[in-house]
Amino acid sequence: MLRFVLFRLLHAIPLLIAVIFVILLMLQLIPGDPVQAMVGDFPVSPEFRAAVTKQYHLDDPFPIRVYSYFVNLLHGDFGYSYQFQRPVLDLIAESAPRTILLTLVGFLIAIPFGVLIGTVSGTTRNRRIDHFWTSSTLIAYAIPTFWLGQLLVLVLAVHFGWFPTQGMGPLVSRAHGFSWILERAHYIALPALAFAVHEGTRFARIMRASVADTLGQGYIITARAKGLTRSAIIRGHVLRNSSPPLVTVAGYAFGAALGGAVLLETVFTWPGLGLLLVQAVRMRDNMTVVGIVIFAAIAVIVINLLVDLLYAALDPRIRSR
Amino acid sequence: MSGERALDQQSFDPRWLAGPWRGFRAAVGNMLGTRHGAAGCAILLLLVVVALFAPLIAPYDPLQQAQASLSPPSWQNLFGTDNTGRDIFSLIVYGTRTSLAIGLGAAFGALIVGGMVGMLAGYFRGAIETLLMRLAELFQTLPVIVVVLFTVALFGSSFWLLLTAVILAIWPVEARLVYGQYIRLRGMDFVAAAKIADLSTAHIMLREILPNAIQPVVVQVALDASVAILIEAGLGFLGLSDPNMVSWGQLLYVAQDYMTLAWWTSFFPGAAICLAVVGLNLFADGLNEIIDPRMRGRAGGLQS
Amino acid sequence: MNAMLDDAGITDRGDCDPLLDVRDLKVHLHVGDAIVRAVDGVDLSVRRGESIGIVGESGSGKSTLARAILKLLPNVEFAELQGEVRFRGADLTRISDGALRELRRRNGFSMVFQDPLGYLNPTKRVGKQVAEALGGKHDGVVSSRVQQLLAEAGLSDPAELARRFPHELSGGMRQRVMIAIALASEPALLFADEPTTALDATVQLQVLETLGRLHRDRNMAMVIITHDLGVVAELCDRVYVMRAGKVVENGDTIDVFENPRHPYAAQLIELSTRHRRGSTPAETKAALSTEALSSGVAR
Repeated sequence: MLRFVLFRLLHAIPLLIAVIFVILLMLQLIPGDPVQAMVGDFPVSPEFRAAVTKQYHLDDPFPIRVYSYFVNLLHGDFGYSYQFQRPVLDLIAESAPRTILLTLVGFLIAIPFGVLIGTVSGTTRNRRIDHFWTSSTLIAYAIPTFWLGQLLVLVLAVHFGWFPTQGMGPLVSRAHGFSWILERAHYIALPALAFAVHEGTRFARIMRASVADTLGQGYIITARAKGLTRSAIIRGHVLRNSSPPLVTVAGYAFGAALGGAVLLETVFTWPGLGLLLVQAVRMRDNMTVVGIVIFAAIAVIVINLLVDLLYAALDPRIRSR
Repeated sequence: MSGERALDQQSFDPRWLAGPWRGFRAAVGNMLGTRHGAAGCAILLLLVVVALFAPLIAPYDPLQQAQASLSPPSWQNLFGTDNTGRDIFSLIVYGTRTSLAIGLGAAFGALIVGGMVGMLAGYFRGAIETLLMRLAELFQTLPVIVVVLFTVALFGSSFWLLLTAVILAIWPVEARLVYGQYIRLRGMDFVAAAKIADLSTAHIMLREILPNAIQPVVVQVALDASVAILIEAGLGFLGLSDPNMVSWGQLLYVAQDYMTLAWWTSFFPGAAICLAVVGLNLFADGLNEIIDPRMRGRAGGLQS
Repeated sequence: MNAMLDDAGITDRGDCDPLLDVRDLKVHLHVGDAIVRAVDGVDLSVRRGESIGIVGESGSGKSTLARAILKLLPNVEFAELQGEVRFRGADLTRISDGALRELRRRNGFSMVFQDPLGYLNPTKRVGKQVAEALGGKHDGVVSSRVQQLLAEAGLSDPAELARRFPHELSGGMRQRVMIAIALASEPALLFADEPTTALDATVQLQVLETLGRLHRDRNMAMVIITHDLGVVAELCDRVYVMRAGKVVENGDTIDVFENPRHPYAAQLIELSTRHRRGSTPAETKAALSTEALSSGVAR
């Protein structure tokens, strides 16, 4: 197990460095004035220009710039956003938990439904009930989350008025305790639902394939020969043995959740990382854009690493190595 | 190398075209025999026809703002009009061109880039393999939409740039798939035989292995096209796609401000995106079904 | 439980003989465009407490026959699947899923598979997998019964063993775990499909001894499927010789060995006895397998 951990770390760290390197390389390729590209669209005075040039080593050769950026990163400095007038790390620290919250709630809805539908579908493969779920998930998977978000807002928020159309609730809330949770839940319901539909259908499709795979294994025949009931076989053998791919995919999807959040958070004006990224892109605030993208890369790589380690810990065959 | 010359002549032999062509016709026949494949083919055919004959199908110039703004669906304007009085049906018809162009362009771009990388890495192994596959992993780290958004943020949002950005983001999937196929096939007897026969490396890679590796790759091309269409729509929805082209995603971007007044501004463009993505996924499912006969037909699942 | 079995016409009368009676069983499969007649009109019967051997080279349909009898065939489309399989008088091809389950669960039949690693769940502890076959809640009674079964299958230190995962056991130990699982239902009839093929020679003998002991002590009918004539000579009262989906010869083991009527059976036995005089055990072993035989026939 220790060897596996070391092996995975040796894999992850160079990857992370390479990703950041490529991101910085792309930043160098922007045509036009590098200072303007750093700070975004607003007029700059010569003194300010000199200060920025010095701070980010813009006159120095590329390797020195990259080096200084890495050194800053190691000190937790993701740069300064001149548009927001705040350090980029502050912006990220403020938005990231909201994105994580949205993702977690979405997963809480998506995983049980995905497992349920995938298992029902996989254990009745090519029968009518499977055809129904396969077609449904195929169509649901094709719905862009942002359009689904628009439709949900249109029907449930605007037409019926059951949910707020956007945001994550009043900045200063007078509610406390349980009613505070209820108030927040009210706001998170629609974005989480839209997210869950997309992720849930993906989980269902993966689960179906995995269940079909498990059902072809010898130990399922042994279980049948034992005279176990259908539900005992599913509970005792199929679910546990079919879930590893789902754990991996769900874990990776969690790391990549920022991708989905970009569009979803824009629909619902959910002030997470995704919305921040879109705002920064629109304001041409490249310092913030690069900061968020690098943060996302770190998040993905770290979470994938954790998922792999968790996977190894769950599998007795790897654990004992 | 005399073997190489002989093969060059062979590759000009028109007879070998008969093989792939017959194979293609048989594949289409099989596709139409599967439920998903047939539905997928029908949808894709519809989209291609709409894209090719857009000027004949669209009742109005898509950019003409002559209609009453935000008028609901009617016989005059099948899908209603938008806030500037453009006919949404005509916009969607022309938007098909953009979506198919980006979808097919990106999928084939990814096929070429990813295919080359996968072939080289899978066939030669060693240092090339390590380098190329780590590179693929590098580009696969960030979610596709983030890569595209990042590129667009830095370099602008023309159609060609967007296309490049999408290819940049999705090629690793194709590379890994082709790589896996080549790893699997390179050890097989027919490859060993071809090597003994002194056939050129390029010949072995392209003419011996490729035909055997192609089927799952084609499935992935269809899936890539659906991803590219979704990404383009997403960028359009963020208001960051090429402003000079009509696109379904852009219509949704505009619709954000008006959809509470006019549901049709959001509904029809979104439905068009769904249709294209469903079509491509059904097509891929159908292909999968004819490739892997285990998935076919018979009711399966857990027996008693 | 008994009500269900009564409904299916299955009664546990001691006098019901034969225990298993198979008539004209056919299993034809699609393989590509061709049809393979894996089992092609087989008649077979097993009396109470009797030990039967089914021999034949690989591909002769012997494993498919066992699976078809026990209704454990894989889920594929059959070109033809018909025949009568009477167990204690009731036709297994017609009984309900519930009744079938009851037979598998208690005093009916069970099966030991060839490849114990694939047929044991890699993520579950061995003890739990045995306990599952006992049914009921996992408590002290069950766990002592599990240990008893593991011991009966010839495993020492069953308490410690029950906590291990299949991949932590040797091949022979896994096969004994499979046997313990099969014994859990106190079956009247045990099928063993190539129970020793995957094992080392010395372990093979031990596992065979265990099977023979269980057969005698429990008065349990047994069907052993093998390509190894030595196993049949060791353990079986009667033998069926299969080739290409058909039974070409059957009778008392001694009769068949001394007086084979079908030329294939004759060749099979002649070859194996000729080699039996071979010097080293390895040679004898190789000679006794029908794989060697079939290549000999081809020559």
